[in-house]
Amino acid sequence: MTNLEHASIEKYVNMPELLARVENDSELLTELLALFQDDFPRLRDALHNAVHAGGPRQVEKAAHALKGMLANLSIEHGAALAANVEAAARAGDEREIQQAMAAFDGGETGLLAAVGRFMAGGEP
Amino acid sequence: MRILIAEDEAVSLRMLQKTLERAGYEVTAVSDGRKAVEELCRPEGPRLALLDWVMPQLDGPAVCRTVRRKRSQRHVYLVLLTSKNSKEDIVEGLESGADDYLIKPFDPGELKARLHTGIRILELEDNLLEARENMRYKATHDSLTSLLNRGTILELLAGELNRKQRDKHSISIVLGDLDHFKLVNDTYGHIVGDEVLREVARRMLGSVRSYDFVGRYGGEEFLVVLNNCCAVETAADRAEEIRKAIGDSPIRTTQGSVPITLSLGVSVSRPCDTLPLEEILCEVDGALYAAKSAGRNCCRLGSAGRA
Repeated sequence: MTNLEHASIEKYVNMPELLARVENDSELLTELLALFQDDFPRLRDALHNAVHAGGPRQVEKAAHALKGMLANLSIEHGAALAANVEAAARAGDEREIQQAMAAFDGGETGLLAAVGRFMAGGEP
Repeated sequence: MRILIAEDEAVSLRMLQKTLERAGYEVTAVSDGRKAVEELCRPEGPRLALLDWVMPQLDGPAVCRTVRRKRSQRHVYLVLLTSKNSKEDIVEGLESGADDYLIKPFDPGELKARLHTGIRILELEDNLLEARENMRYKATHDSLTSLLNRGTILELLAGELNRKQRDKHSISIVLGDLDHFKLVNDTYGHIVGDEVLREVARRMLGSVRSYDFVGRYGGEEFLVVLNNCCAVETAADRAEEIRKAIGDSPIRTTQGSVPITLSLGVSVSRPCDTLPLEEILCEVDGALYAAKSAGRNCCRLGSAGRA
């Protein structure tokens, strides 16, 4: 593994913490990131759909699910941004929801690509 | 130890599953609350569970409430594992019946330590239940023969007398007394006497059906309740079988073979009979006395049997 790979994914993921949480099991780490690659787009789309078509309750649920997944993978900043969307939805504040969503979308840009590079074995 | 994980988010589920399997748990995973309830309420279902809060069908607190309501026999240790981290959430989660509350993302060391606490509590409960069962057994059984003791066999007889009137069936009561048992004790000693009593008990249990009751009524007296045994002839035949089971072959003891015989009194109580327990016991005792007077090692019917 090159430093560049780490640098790339570590922009998003607290890798030392994640490695500790998987008890240094690199196979499990790879498996979890693969699950993330499959599930993240679906959960993110569900959140977008809830913001555009659903009520605050749906937004809260969708943001909660994303927050859980991101937190589990030590994607700390992403989890915090999802938590902001969840809080705004719980408060029922439409303007806050839009702002928090914009911040979330900005924050996760490049995340999947970074994970993809890491999984592919090192191309930054 | 088996553990249920109820979690609908794939990453969290896989991480939990792997962590727990590595720690030696046998994991059952479900992805919604209703399936979690089904698993936990099965008689042999897991007794340890990690429940997410937000799940399809039923959320974590609803699972806790349902399991607490439905499954009362043995405790299931329920841990809510959620990213809901406000004080209000923690209070609500614990009030719903959860034993513990962990906040995501979990730390593997803390998770395992908390589950060890749960296992200690479950083991404590198992030990208490076992101790209670041992005490119940000791309180209801004769320590020498392991037959029901006098209090218990009389209690069961009273219950059966009530039931036979309600369900319109008959029961037969047999009172047996070992012949010349004092002579066994005097000749071979009390240790051999005890061996004889234990073997008599074993033979008696072997000569009745699984739903009949056999109790040690006194020193060398035994009371047998034959459920659903209505015909006088049948009752007499059954008593005769017991007599033969005891007397047909000598009992092997540490001091050699000891021949022993049994005299029996029999009483049949039909649904229409309203004799109270005390009078039924008097009657069967009278029948036993008649058997003794007739030369022992035989059966005699009580007056109800002749009616």
